[in-house]
Amino acid sequence: MRLSKRSTGVTMLAASVVLAATGCSTKAPESSGGGGGDAADVQTDIGVEGETIRLGVLTDLTGVFAALGKDITQANELFWEDNQVCDTYDVELDVQDTGYVPQQGVQLYSGMKDSILAMQQTIGSPINTALAPEYESDQIVNFPSAWSKTLTEIPGTGVVGATYDVEIANGYDYLFEEGLLAEGDTVGHIYFEGEYGANGLAGTRAVAEEMGLEVIEAQIKATDQDMSAQVTQFAAAGVDLIALTVAPGQTASVATVAEAQGLDVPILGSNPVFAPGLLQGPAANWLKTHLYVASPVSSFDAHPELLEQYKEAYPEATVSLGVVVGFGMSEIMKQVLDAACENGDLTRQGVVDAFNELEEVDTGGLVVPIRGFETGQSPSLESFVLQPADVEGGATVLAEAFEGQFAEKIAG
Amino acid sequence: MTQFLSLLLNGISLGAMYALIALGFVIIFKASEVVSFTHGSLLLLGAYSIARLSEPLGFLLAAVVGIAITALAAFVIERVIINRLRGAAVISLAIVTIGVDIILLTELIRRIGSDILNVPHPWAGGSVRVGDVGISENRLIAIAVAAVLIGLFFAAFKYSNWGIAMRASAEDGETAALMGIKQGRVSALAWVVAGVLAAVAALFLVGSPTPGVSPSTYAVALRAFPAAILGGLDSTGGALVGGLLIGIAEAMAAGYQDQLLFLGRGFSAVVPFIVMIAVLMFRPSGLFGTKELTRV
Repeated sequence: MRLSKRSTGVTMLAASVVLAATGCSTKAPESSGGGGGDAADVQTDIGVEGETIRLGVLTDLTGVFAALGKDITQANELFWEDNQVCDTYDVELDVQDTGYVPQQGVQLYSGMKDSILAMQQTIGSPINTALAPEYESDQIVNFPSAWSKTLTEIPGTGVVGATYDVEIANGYDYLFEEGLLAEGDTVGHIYFEGEYGANGLAGTRAVAEEMGLEVIEAQIKATDQDMSAQVTQFAAAGVDLIALTVAPGQTASVATVAEAQGLDVPILGSNPVFAPGLLQGPAANWLKTHLYVASPVSSFDAHPELLEQYKEAYPEATVSLGVVVGFGMSEIMKQVLDAACENGDLTRQGVVDAFNELEEVDTGGLVVPIRGFETGQSPSLESFVLQPADVEGGATVLAEAFEGQFAEKIAG
Repeated sequence: MTQFLSLLLNGISLGAMYALIALGFVIIFKASEVVSFTHGSLLLLGAYSIARLSEPLGFLLAAVVGIAITALAAFVIERVIINRLRGAAVISLAIVTIGVDIILLTELIRRIGSDILNVPHPWAGGSVRVGDVGISENRLIAIAVAAVLIGLFFAAFKYSNWGIAMRASAEDGETAALMGIKQGRVSALAWVVAGVLAAVAALFLVGSPTPGVSPSTYAVALRAFPAAILGGLDSTGGALVGGLLIGIAEAMAAGYQDQLLFLGRGFSAVVPFIVMIAVLMFRPSGLFGTKELTRV
């Protein structure tokens, strides 16, 4: 009797663990969108029903990128509340939470794929990579919220800005222009293992080759929090700049250690290195004067109307630049769908064609100008340079979108 | 030399915190024969509670309440789950703790949500320098607090009734029970102590030079685990030595990454496990663990 009670307990626990691990998503796929929308003469197939277009969102609301995922997704939703495609079609989002688990993403996509026209957002390089073959065979246009070069290899996937290598090279260009770095200097670059870090490091290496920089490379795992050893190593080598392709936690650690050791050199980061919460930590003052972030998006001080709109809709939210990313990618999706609609073809094939034909995309200064989405190439050559400041969103624009001297060569 | 001393000091401070966490593993193992994988989420729970409560309560009170919350969570886990499964196979219990860890962790990650949570330590990002060698005040205080706590623990372990009861239970559970020692109570108290130690480690782990609570704070506990194993899972002294050894090895491997390049990049992340395997190859029960004696 006692034994059976025990085994029941274990079974229940095991079941709850499995449920927790799989995220408990049991949402049934929506019924397939009917063909032939009501709007006159526009051809449709999947994901358009009457005058409603359905787009998928595979975001992270509970995993490591939950903060970013929430901001981008809320911005997506807010954008489509106020906008229509071709002044005719409303857009509905099917938002699903992957928890940043690729397997979960694949399952959720198979649940939604028969009811969506395209993907408004897929968060995370591993999930985008896992879904690449399906997106290609299902003719899905998709916007990832990552900027790895490998993502540009997926047909139909539109990286929203310059890839990490081009981005950080533009950051270097800014530092050279401002006299913060000189030819032949030494740079210490801390980077994550994996695509993100490798792509950022590729940018540093390319610039180093052009400008004769000496590079000290320090690879870390995403779970490494203490950067004391790396910064100590850089200080011993007398670096003139610290470059980062990491997450905000490591940025805080680098700044704290650099300040403690008196390593008074600029810090250049890829766009994901910064989060507004860093400005509440002990490293705040150091970051406000030393950190330069190369970014595909502008900041809120250049778009106060956006901030107002967002805060009105989500008064409790702490705003980050993910909101600007979300608005920017929705604006680009609108331009793709508008073009497809004008061509009279809102089928998946029609949307892919419109996506491929898109050139010189302007989002009103939210995102850097996009030259077009060509397979294997950085969609943009330009970046903003931001610096942390006591403003909403936590950063201010130091340099408006510009193309640095190394960008074209790196972008190919 | 400066670099070496800086790295050594950093390694010791990191090791002191690993030792606190590893000590928790060891106490739980001794008292309830459970290899507890819940430590990562308990650590994160401590850090999260302190960070969240700092604003309304102020740092000091938040620290006390945060530590109490973590101890309470450990107590509840022991009473509600572990105690009821007493006598189950060690491996089943270990897997149950993995389950509890995942559940708690998922909820914490969801709650941490937006970016980085900060704990307003009164000493903030301050640092102390002796010549060219610097260390953050936070880490220096951590070393001192860890030393005091570990000292207190060893004294309690040796002289208090609880310590004697625990050692007796670990030595021979059945005889201890026959002598009137309530194993349930010993085990519950062990979990509470482990919770307190994890939360204290968390308090310093989210200060300079690694300011802010993020989900990856969790990973620190995973590195303390090899510290407990290599010291000997049933040896409290071993946890201390193991923690320091792992902390120093990790700091050195990260700081001398360029000189160790032939071993590949990111070597420091695997160092705790390499040190553990190397020790276990020569001493299968860990540095100070009790050798299993089997009559043949």
